[in-house]
This record gives sequence, C-alpha cells and structure tokens, in this order.
Amino acid sequence: MHTLKRTKLAIFAGLLPSLIIYIGIAVVPIAMSLYYSFFDWDGITAKEFVGLGNFTEMLQDDIFWLSVKNNVIIMLTGLVGQIPIGLLLALLLNRSLRGTSFFRTAGFLPVVISSVMVSLIWGMIYNTEYGFLNSFLSVIGLESWTRNWLGDPAWSMASISVAYIWQNCGLYMVIFLAALQSIPQEVNEAAELDGATGLRRVLSITIPMIRATILVSVVYSISNSFRVFDLVQILTGGGPAHQTEVMTIYMYNSAFLSREFGFGSAVSILILLFSLIIISTINRFGREKDV
Amino acid sequence: MERTSPIMRIAAYVFLLLFAAFNIIPLFYMVVGSFKTESEYANSPFSLPEVLQFSNYSRAWEIANMSTYFMNSIIVTFGSLIVTVVLGALAAFFLSRFKFKLRGFTYALFLLGMLVPIHATLIPIFMLMKNIGLLDTYFSLILPYTAFHLSLTIFILEGFMRGLPRDLEESAVMDGAGVYRIFWSIIFPITRPALATVVILNFIYNWNEYLFALVLISKEAVKTLPLGIASFVGIETANLTLQMAALTIALIPILIFYLLLQKQLVNGMTAGAVKG
Repeated sequence: MHTLKRTKLAIFAGLLPSLIIYIGIAVVPIAMSLYYSFFDWDGITAKEFVGLGNFTEMLQDDIFWLSVKNNVIIMLTGLVGQIPIGLLLALLLNRSLRGTSFFRTAGFLPVVISSVMVSLIWGMIYNTEYGFLNSFLSVIGLESWTRNWLGDPAWSMASISVAYIWQNCGLYMVIFLAALQSIPQEVNEAAELDGATGLRRVLSITIPMIRATILVSVVYSISNSFRVFDLVQILTGGGPAHQTEVMTIYMYNSAFLSREFGFGSAVSILILLFSLIIISTINRFGREKDV
Repeated sequence: MERTSPIMRIAAYVFLLLFAAFNIIPLFYMVVGSFKTESEYANSPFSLPEVLQFSNYSRAWEIANMSTYFMNSIIVTFGSLIVTVVLGALAAFFLSRFKFKLRGFTYALFLLGMLVPIHATLIPIFMLMKNIGLLDTYFSLILPYTAFHLSLTIFILEGFMRGLPRDLEESAVMDGAGVYRIFWSIIFPITRPALATVVILNFIYNWNEYLFALVLISKEAVKTLPLGIASFVGIETANLTLQMAALTIALIPILIFYLLLQKQLVNGMTAGAVKG
C-alpha cells in the first residue's frame, strides 16, 4: 500500500493544474474587475483612483438605463416568450402524436447553431432591401408593412426578441419534455379516474408535477438574459442610437471601443451583481413555496 | 398515452408544423439563396435557382478565408477540449474518490464558476493576455475556454465517479498500483459515458464561442470560424448570396454533427443548461 504522505502529494499534484487555470483565469479576474472599477484607466497610462466615481457616473448615464431597460425586455422575452412556448410545445409533443422526433429535431436545431450564425441568419431575414421578411410581405401584398426592422427604433428590440425566441425555445421544449416524460404513468391514470381532463389536468396536475423544472428554467432563462451579447452585437451593435444596447454591449463599448477600462469594469461588476441578486431572490422564493 | 379529440389533434399539429416551419425556413431560405446569382436573388427571392451557382461556394471559400477559420477553430476547440477533459477528469477523480481536508471547499470553489458570467472577467483577461504577450495566439482562447468549462466538466464527471462502487480500486491498491495508475487504467475508462457527454458539451461550446475571440483575437490568421464569418459578413454587406454560401459552409459541419449525435447532444446540452 502506498503511504499516506505520497497520496496527499498525488492529490495535490492532480488538482493543481485545474486549480491554477481556473483560479487564475476565472476567479482572480473577478477580483481584478472589482479593483479596476475604482479607477479611471485607459489600459495603458497610469490608473487614477476615482473611488465610486465610475458607478455614480454610470447611474447618471441615460444610455446605461436604456441598456438596463433593454435587458429587462430580453429577460421578459425569455420568461413570457421562450418558456411558455417551450412548455406548450412539450405538452403537445408529450401526447401520442406521430412525428414527435421530427419536431424535436427541428426544434432543437437553433440551439446547436452558434449564436453568431443565428444572428447572421436573422440579419439576412431582416435585411431592408433583400431580406426574407420584407420580400415575403411584398409577395403577399402587405407592402405597407415592410420596414427597416433593425434600424427602426420602434421595431428593433422586437426584432431582436423574435430572434432570441427562435434561438432558445427549443431548449426549453426539450427540458420540459424530459420532465413530463418522467411523471409516473399512475399519476395520469389516477387523474383520469378522477375525471380531470384536458386543460384542467394540465393546470392542476401536470404543471405542479414539473414545478422544480420550471423553476430551474426560469433561473436559467434569467441568467441567460444577462449574458446576451452576440445576438445584439451582430444584429445591431446596440444601435440605432443606443436603442438596442444591453448591459453587456454597454460594457464592451466602454471598455473596448472607448478604451475606458475602469468604467467598463464597473459595468461588468454591476452585471454580475444584478444577475446574482435576481437569481438568489428567485431561488429563495422558489424554496419557500416548497415548504 | 391519452386519447385526444380530433380537433385538438389537428390544432396541435398545426401549431407544431408552424413551429417546425419557423425553425427550418430561415435555414432553407439561406441554402436555396446561396445557389443563386445576385440578380436572380434580388429579382425573385422565393424561386428556386435556375442554375445551381456552385461558384458562390468556391468564391466564398476563397474570399472569406474559410480554410484558415476552420483550421483555427479545430485547433482551439480540440486543444481546449483535451486540456479541459483530462484536467477535469483528474480533478474529479481526486474529488470523488478521496477524502482530504479541503475537499468540500475545493469542490464548491469549482462549482461557483458556473454562476460567473464571462463578461465580469473579460477586461482583466484581456489585460492579462496582453501583458504576458498571448494576445492573437491560440493560447489566449484555449486558456479561458478551459478555465470556464472546468466547472461543468468537473461537476458532471465527479457525479459519475462518485457513483462508482468503492471496491473498484481495492484490488489494484492491493497489487500496489499508484493513484495515477488507478486513474488511467481503471477509473478513466469506466467513466466513458460521462466523458462522452463532457466532450460533446465542450466541443459545441468552444466551437460556437464568440465573445472571447472578439476581444482577444484581431489577426486574420488566428480568427476562429464564428469571429471570421462575422467579420466577413460585416465586410461583404452588398453580396447576399456570397454571405449565404459562407454561412452554409459554416453550418454544414455542425448540422452533420447534430444529426449524427443528436441524442447525446440534446441530453448533454439540456443537462448543461439545467445544472449550469
């Protein structure tokens, strides 16, 4: 048998490479972001300590609040768009319909494609002159409905939201379908004997049975909404005139376009705080209801 | 399964078919468009191409440096995948099969990574890579991809290894095999099903990643596929059929991968989402 000391050394050596990479590149940078956020800094010349100056400046910036508003829109798109559509699709597919696997395959396809591809494809759909959408509207005689989907401030966020739903609702469909299929058959049979059918059964038996899965999906959808970047960056870059800017874009632009690394770090710390607060609130709310 | 009234059944089918169409038509439209000439596309966007313009593909392949992007994506994706899975499996092995003082703390520390949005680390990572001279190299992507996917990798592998029976190692220990030997020849091979999940997840996440690449790579020769194709489309705005051909080229490998490994991919990605 090997000695205890040698085992200890082996454990240490085995964990060390992962720990170094993980702590060095995923943990320490968070502390660094917090540190940078107290400075006025362009990443090249000397840092100038400004205390909470970056944060107060940000909170007074209308564009920041615009980006918060747009993040809320993206979040709601996930909560009232992606999750309910995903749930409805899962409920439909959980019946003995033919072609279930086809719908599953088609539904999950956008989830597998990179968000860059999704954005570029939707960019072509929304293209003002030659896009699919405007061409289609012209062909069916709704020429007056054609517009600059991404360039018109009244429509740009809605256009992004549709692409965002397209990208993710298949994921929720599959998550809910797995949960539905794990409901024991006896539960459904008992419900049928009690005369609970159709919508009533869905609302009073099926949905409560997959409550935990719904909660997990809600948390995932919210944390996902704070991470939205690729879609907006490629479709609009935050434009027209900041109308579609979300917090991650606001952060990217201030750091890597305006070269304000301290300010950008402050934004990233706020994104982290927002998402942690919302997620822990929902988790607590969900757990209380469990008791 | 339950009985459904015919009206409900039809309504369900209509909804599902609309959904499938909504998912497939954008891709189909793109593939059809990629075979047209520019004027043919502009004049009759919904017709099928009169002659299949394969030249769009050869031009897109040339102009968009597709071979460079593909090569870079393969190197970065598999480089970080191998490092992540080997290091993650090793860490998971020690975390799941041994008792030591800081075990709980180390495990919790790794799991914390699943909560961290990468944006909160982007600026320091950029500065770090700049200072150690790794900007515009494969390593500048391999390191963050590894760091950020270790959490989920360790979580999945630790869970699997913990479930393996205790007496698995015992005879090997009796024979005097060292811990690393036990890892390589006993635990690692048995973990294959969980390893498959982790490999697929890491592959798809790394292959599709954009934000780190956008910030850390600016040289054309090192650009990965998502970054390269995004900048190509940004430049060739006037040439839609060429864009479509380039996007179709980028789509094909992932489509094949998806259709071949659909079950594992769907299970892995939903598990990744639910746990992450």
